[in-house]
Amino acid sequence: MKAVCWMGTNKIETQTVPDPELVNPHDAIIKVTRTAICGSDLHLYDGFIPTMEAGDIMGHEFMGIVEEVGKEVHNLKRGDRVVVPFTIACGNCLFCKKKLWSACDNTNPNAHLMEAAYGYSGSGLFGYSHMMGGYAGGQAQYVRVPFANVGPLKLETDLPDEKVLFLSDIFPTGYMAAENAQILPGDTVAVWGTGPVGQFAIASAFMLGAARVIAIDRVPERLAMARSIGAITVNYAEDDVKVLTALKDLTGGIGPDSCIDAVGLEGHSSQLQGLYDKIKTAVMLETDRPVVLRQAVQAVRKGGTLSIPGVYGGMLDKVPFGAAFGKGITMKMGQTNMHTYMKPLLERIETNQIDPSYIISHRITLDQAPDMYKVWRDKKEDVTKIVIDPWQ
Amino acid sequence: MSTALTEKPNAEELPTSSAAAILQDGHYLAPPPDNGGKQWARTTVLVQGSPQELYSLWRATENAPLWQEQIVEVVVTGVNTSRWTMKTGGKTMTWEAEILADEPGKRIAWRSLSDDVNEAGQVVFEPAPGDRGTFVTVLMEFHVGKLANAWESLTGRNPKQGVIENLRHFKAFAETGEIPNSQTAPHGDRGIVGKMKRSLYGENIPTPPGATAV
Repeated sequence: MKAVCWMGTNKIETQTVPDPELVNPHDAIIKVTRTAICGSDLHLYDGFIPTMEAGDIMGHEFMGIVEEVGKEVHNLKRGDRVVVPFTIACGNCLFCKKKLWSACDNTNPNAHLMEAAYGYSGSGLFGYSHMMGGYAGGQAQYVRVPFANVGPLKLETDLPDEKVLFLSDIFPTGYMAAENAQILPGDTVAVWGTGPVGQFAIASAFMLGAARVIAIDRVPERLAMARSIGAITVNYAEDDVKVLTALKDLTGGIGPDSCIDAVGLEGHSSQLQGLYDKIKTAVMLETDRPVVLRQAVQAVRKGGTLSIPGVYGGMLDKVPFGAAFGKGITMKMGQTNMHTYMKPLLERIETNQIDPSYIISHRITLDQAPDMYKVWRDKKEDVTKIVIDPWQ
Repeated sequence: MSTALTEKPNAEELPTSSAAAILQDGHYLAPPPDNGGKQWARTTVLVQGSPQELYSLWRATENAPLWQEQIVEVVVTGVNTSRWTMKTGGKTMTWEAEILADEPGKRIAWRSLSDDVNEAGQVVFEPAPGDRGTFVTVLMEFHVGKLANAWESLTGRNPKQGVIENLRHFKAFAETGEIPNSQTAPHGDRGIVGKMKRSLYGENIPTPPGATAV
């Protein structure tokens, strides 16, 4: 089959690789009908996530048709149409029982690598480094899905792929970000980053009762997209715009009730701290560039909530923890507990509360993927979301 | 509560305690220190299942190859004895083992009967506080003989990590009937560095099969 392979930092190739096979009794093989490139795939492209190895198949946002199931998969059969969550969960461990699906104990074969770095291992993920499980990703024609009895959402609807594909990650991720922001009716919410997760966080914040959502970015077409769903926008790259001042100006001086960092470890800053982080990450004194996190801790109101769907990977420097303590803020974060959100969010799509396909800007083939990684990373061609048809 | 490995001839005396010497009179005890040629491994997991169920799964000695790394065969030779065969890096080793203590639903202790493989261990099953499952704790002592050398030199899995990984496999096997495995994942060209890293990640040790067939 054809698959998009990571071959090193800034090096992606489409290669012909062996087809996946069933390994365990709860496995399924899925014929991928649509897959997407995620903003977090750019962290892999840019070499920020350790334990990626040459040849690894990319991709954790995908859906398709069930091709084959293992002998213990009774809820799916060949021909079923499914969306697959990017986190793999066993359904039986203490964490799955608590619905902390992304903390599943039994799905990372390389748990010892994550234990060394993080103390404990989270669940396995598709196509996201050996530390996170070493599973092949979904930017391919076929993919093996472990615990297919627990994860995949079976579609009984004839909605087109593009409307439901983003249930695989970014819509639930944006939604959980809004939920983690503990929004109460009437609240003002600030969202850093208006890429796909930011867009869905904005839409979800309104669904949860936010009266005002302020979106912060530097890419004009993304800010326009945020305005199209009701947000007020701030472009931090415009002359004399200071984000903290803007957020005070827009909240009567008290700051947003909740802040959402939908940027994560590769934040950009036009200020001196941007240069500081660039140098420190270059000489490996820090692994992440937490410019948004610093700003959000400063910006959130006293007693407010900071929600972090943006990915952080390692050691952060100069995070103003005194400000966090001094204002008594709450921070919530982590990989999305996908399995909790997929079905309710499908219902929101079915009842026309949202059409997630509005963020798609590019539709490509597997062969075009290597070039499009670069376009996506460099924010060229007005790109907002890239969807791949693996059979074109 | 269980006792330490007093059944093992020549074993050092450990403090009498619960859960393989983790607690004594409500106070935490550090793992036994390594000394000379002797090493200890102590590790614990929380498993969703009853002590009795988990005891039975562990006690089915002949099924050990389903969840223990590199164990290819276990033949039960008597009520308390068995013969173990391990394949590691192309080498095959065989040894006899004997069960020293068998307390259904609570504890199993064993030792090897071989010059090549000199080890003893126990596994303790205890209800976790708050009714959240069962703590399964393994305490093993081993002398760094040929087995350890074989493991370390040929496979890169040191014996202590081997104990940790086997207990992790046991938990997955008990909770789900299978053991997570990504070793057959399709991939593009790995290049020389990628191939070398397999052993660094422990991916050169075959994942035990768990349930037998797909």
